Amino acid sequence: MKRVLLALSAAGVMLAQTAVAPSYKDLKYPPLPQVKIPVPTPVTLSNGMRVFLLEDHELPLVRGIALIRSGNLFDPPDKKGLSEFMAEVMRSGGTKTKTGDQIDEELENMAASVESGMEETSASMSFSALKENADTVLKVFKDVMTAPEFREDKLDLAITQTRSAIARRNDEAGGIPDRELMRILYGPTTPYGWQVEYEDLNHIHRQDLIDFYQRYYFPKNVMLAVYGDFKVDEMKQKLEAVFADWKVEQPPVPKFPEVAMKPAPGIYFAEKDDVTQTFFAIGELGGTLRDKDYAALQVAANILGQGFTSRLMSQIRTKLGYAYDISAQWAANYDHPGTFRIGGSTKSQSTTETLQAIRVELDKMRTAEVTDRELNEAKEGVLNSFVFFFDSPAKTLNRVMRYEYFGYPKDFLFQYQKAIQAVTRADVLRVAKEHFLPENLAIVAVGNPKEFGKPLSALGKVNTLDLTIPEPKAEGAKVGADSLAKGKALLERAQQAMGGADKLAAVKDFVMSAEMDLQGGPMGAMKIKQVNRWIAPGTFRQDQILPMGTIVAYSDGKSGWLALPPPQGVMAMPAPVLAQARGEIFREWIPLMLSSRDSGRTVSAVDANAVEITEGSLKVRVEFDAATGLPARQIYSETDMRGAPSEVKETFSDWRDAGGVKLPFKAQIEQGGKKAGDLTVSEVKLNAGLDAAELSRKPDAKK
Amino acid sequence: MKVRFLWLLLPAMLCAQSLKDFEKKVTEFSLPNGMRFLIIERHEAPVVSFHTYVNVGSVDDPSGETGIAHMFEHMAFKGTAAIGSKNWPKEKAALAHIEEVYDRLDQEKRKGFRSDPKKIAAIEAELKDAISTADSFVEENEYDRIVESNGGVGMNAGTGEDSTNYFYSFPENRIELWFYLESERFLHPVFREFYKERDVVREERRMRVESNPQGRLVEAMLATAFEAHPYRVMPGGWASDIDNFREPEAEQFYKKYYTPGNITIGIAGDVNPAEARRMAERYFGRLPKAPLPPLVRTVEPKQEGEKRVAVDAAAQPFLAIAYKRPSQYSPDDAALDVLSDVLSDGRTGIIYKEMVRDKKIALGAGSQDTFPSGKYPSLFLFFVIPTQGHSLDENEKALYAIIEKVKKEKVDDAAIARVRTKLRAALIRKLDSNSGLASELCSYSANFGDWRKLFTQLEEYDKVTAADVQRVAQKYLIESTRTVAYTQAPAEGGAK
Repeated sequence: MKRVLLALSAAGVMLAQTAVAPSYKDLKYPPLPQVKIPVPTPVTLSNGMRVFLLEDHELPLVRGIALIRSGNLFDPPDKKGLSEFMAEVMRSGGTKTKTGDQIDEELENMAASVESGMEETSASMSFSALKENADTVLKVFKDVMTAPEFREDKLDLAITQTRSAIARRNDEAGGIPDRELMRILYGPTTPYGWQVEYEDLNHIHRQDLIDFYQRYYFPKNVMLAVYGDFKVDEMKQKLEAVFADWKVEQPPVPKFPEVAMKPAPGIYFAEKDDVTQTFFAIGELGGTLRDKDYAALQVAANILGQGFTSRLMSQIRTKLGYAYDISAQWAANYDHPGTFRIGGSTKSQSTTETLQAIRVELDKMRTAEVTDRELNEAKEGVLNSFVFFFDSPAKTLNRVMRYEYFGYPKDFLFQYQKAIQAVTRADVLRVAKEHFLPENLAIVAVGNPKEFGKPLSALGKVNTLDLTIPEPKAEGAKVGADSLAKGKALLERAQQAMGGADKLAAVKDFVMSAEMDLQGGPMGAMKIKQVNRWIAPGTFRQDQILPMGTIVAYSDGKSGWLALPPPQGVMAMPAPVLAQARGEIFREWIPLMLSSRDSGRTVSAVDANAVEITEGSLKVRVEFDAATGLPARQIYSETDMRGAPSEVKETFSDWRDAGGVKLPFKAQIEQGGKKAGDLTVSEVKLNAGLDAAELSRKPDAKK
Repeated sequence: MKVRFLWLLLPAMLCAQSLKDFEKKVTEFSLPNGMRFLIIERHEAPVVSFHTYVNVGSVDDPSGETGIAHMFEHMAFKGTAAIGSKNWPKEKAALAHIEEVYDRLDQEKRKGFRSDPKKIAAIEAELKDAISTADSFVEENEYDRIVESNGGVGMNAGTGEDSTNYFYSFPENRIELWFYLESERFLHPVFREFYKERDVVREERRMRVESNPQGRLVEAMLATAFEAHPYRVMPGGWASDIDNFREPEAEQFYKKYYTPGNITIGIAGDVNPAEARRMAERYFGRLPKAPLPPLVRTVEPKQEGEKRVAVDAAAQPFLAIAYKRPSQYSPDDAALDVLSDVLSDGRTGIIYKEMVRDKKIALGAGSQDTFPSGKYPSLFLFFVIPTQGHSLDENEKALYAIIEKVKKEKVDDAAIARVRTKLRAALIRKLDSNSGLASELCSYSANFGDWRKLFTQLEEYDKVTAADVQRVAQKYLIESTRTVAYTQAPAEGGAK
């Protein structure tokens, strides 16, 4: 250090070298020594991959990060979250030659890492290795990048984890306001604003991951930065050799979709009664780093709410003691409009007062110039800490690569430095007027309104936020090779338990007599005698004797009729009843258990002892008895006459032999979580020689 | 297998080498008043990080004043006579007046049933006026303003059970400014805006503990696991203690514990050690020598049987399971570290593999070898976040099965070797950050008497065998010293 530790006092007396400066104002600061800014070496490999290399010999480490032009902006709308699952399973699901678990072990034995990630407008892959393992780790990195296998079990794991994360997303009040604000500002149709829901998880399959990967991961679409303890020339050759056989080509990746600007101002509130604080986020859409006023906006937002000396901190924390945490920021992005955001938390009682105090500070920014002192301190803060942009080679390299990726000029940071120097008080007022628009603000608060001092409605109309987590449309199975194989195995075990597949296939018709003991329901409790008749592959007739007369239903799966007691008589089956009848035909035990032989049906395992069987829009979950392998339960969704869906659970028992085939003689039926009835079978006749014409004959028609 | 043997040896050499190299960069000295300094040279960029480690924490909070160590930490940013006042003589008088009024308020309140509500209201109004008079002389957040406008970054502080830490970084040409500011705040701090800051501290507790299901779970778990030792209270303290803090209490606490012999300072970056030493002598030499503060007397009695505690929370369930373990000075410390890493570090930890990856019953599960802190006997902690549809009970049983297995069978040598390699690499990866170095070296020096322990503890890890890991698991992971804490949905219609 070349600094002379002498400070001149106002009187011009030299302080002795051993004296303490009487005030910080007496300290003089020499200029900082010139910062050495490392310059990365750009290289393009023969396969088209762009590389930046930077030597840093301080520690025996080699690290790298690749950016891939992709992002969750490319998620299809019905498969929200796809790209993130892709990025996760790309690493966890292993490669052609190694499982993910083997890779975990191999890397951790070397205390190394290889990771894969996904953001809105970039995908990344990184590695870190001790120098002596760098070659081995680089090979693993390349293997994951170029030959991921996306094994099904790790997609299952990722989906299970995400399902639990969805269930937990409202548990911590502090995390809710920002998330909801993003949803309001960007809307639910882009990844900036949407949330992955249970339903989305049903639509994500291994093949989708593979398709996504193949579209975006190719050499010309990858930019790799490597830094650490190596020689540039050697690393160049190494990378060339390692990636030599990766030559896939794809058409250039299209531009990312634009963000739609549609402000949704207002006050939004969600109740949470187990908190003593209200958490809030206030914001509107902002801009990008390219905007001409970016520097002035940064200064304005800093004066309003960055650091311990900002206006919000001074007023709301220091003077009022309302908050521990309060800040404002102009969060600009490289490539799409960011946000202007104010966030914090306060005790329930001072919720409304705090939001009002924030509004006052915001208005002050828009109506009067900041003071010279505020402006200078905000600018000095940025300029004096500028050196921290260069305090590690990794920061420099990362910045160089991001500028390149997003198409920014190489000297962007120095342009920004100049722009900060040029900001005036008038600029700050102008940009605050143009961009801190109270009429555009969305205010999101989460708290316990019973403890509020002033009600939130003192600020204006309050919209209630619904945080209910939407249930999936139906519990879905992911159809992958694994679950198909498991599903088939479960079904084959059941066929065996019921007497063998061939015996089942030999059943061409049956007559089943039973009594249904209905509990509840619109007509109260009653007992109904039934005769059910079925002819393969799917014709069904049911005669039911009720107190008010006999009801007959007939369907061949395409159409059908109903015969009711007078005065209604015979009619074509109404749509809801036909749908119900189709479901019954689809779920008949004998053809259902033979679904593995039916190419129109899909059978997939949903857990160790359950399958989901689908045919077009028809779907049923069948659970098996682990001990006997026999089916124990059917779960399906049924729409009632009013069109409301409800879940039906049928639990089967009393399996008896009926002419060489085992069938259940008892069933308990639950609908919408309530017990609906018990079915007791008295007799089953298989291959009774039923006649199709006879079955379709309406009761009033003469023979 | 020769190759493997060599491979295992390599990182060991690396460490000995790096300690030898590293020693050249470290300058260590103490001032006559007992304050200790560690200067770490790293001339990569013209920036410097500063770390002040004070050997005081919430374990030192007096009874009825829990959270006072944390409260002082907040006051350390309020400035001095020269920093933060528009008119010091008048402000000084106004601050004294606040205390005089507050004393009268306390006297009236202490009459208990015989206190006069009207009098209380009158004095409270007087107090409010006294506070606003004093506030009128305050130059708000002046201390922070000086740091920020001079390019200071990463400024903050934290209060733990065993230590209080203050830290930030400056460009290299502001080193002397740091010496000035840091010495002034510990030489003659002014406790201005105390009663507003008390509200801020109370808000911090609301945010971190009261409004966070995990915060409430940890608070209940500690209060259950520890009966007597101050680890039973989180550093934030109890709400009612905070609400009643008095300024003289914080001042007394500061005088007792912020003595030079109780402070260690780390400075890392583009710094000349000889010059730094001269400045240290000049600026911090002014702090008068003072007796060392007392150590914590209370020793936690032996736990006689499992304890369980449930916390009502309208949230998905969490589970924390803690076992008593000895302090960081125990000869078993290294083996416990290795045990924890074998169980839960990375994607190869046993708990992760079994509960998260294979059985999929937990969204997250792991262990922490020392909780909440290490100077006194503490806890070996497990935490589990069940996946949807899997119960706490199922997870608790699965965790016990893993613990029993580790007690019954030795873990394989490959797992131990992996942990050692990771611990070494983790050390190397720490060495490229000024702020990390300043903080780590201070902490090791203050906790173990020598910063070199950061390096030499790797040798202790190397001595840990699979048999040691099994032995400490058998010794400490036992039911009778266990505390199980979990969240549950509140009962219907229960009082809120």
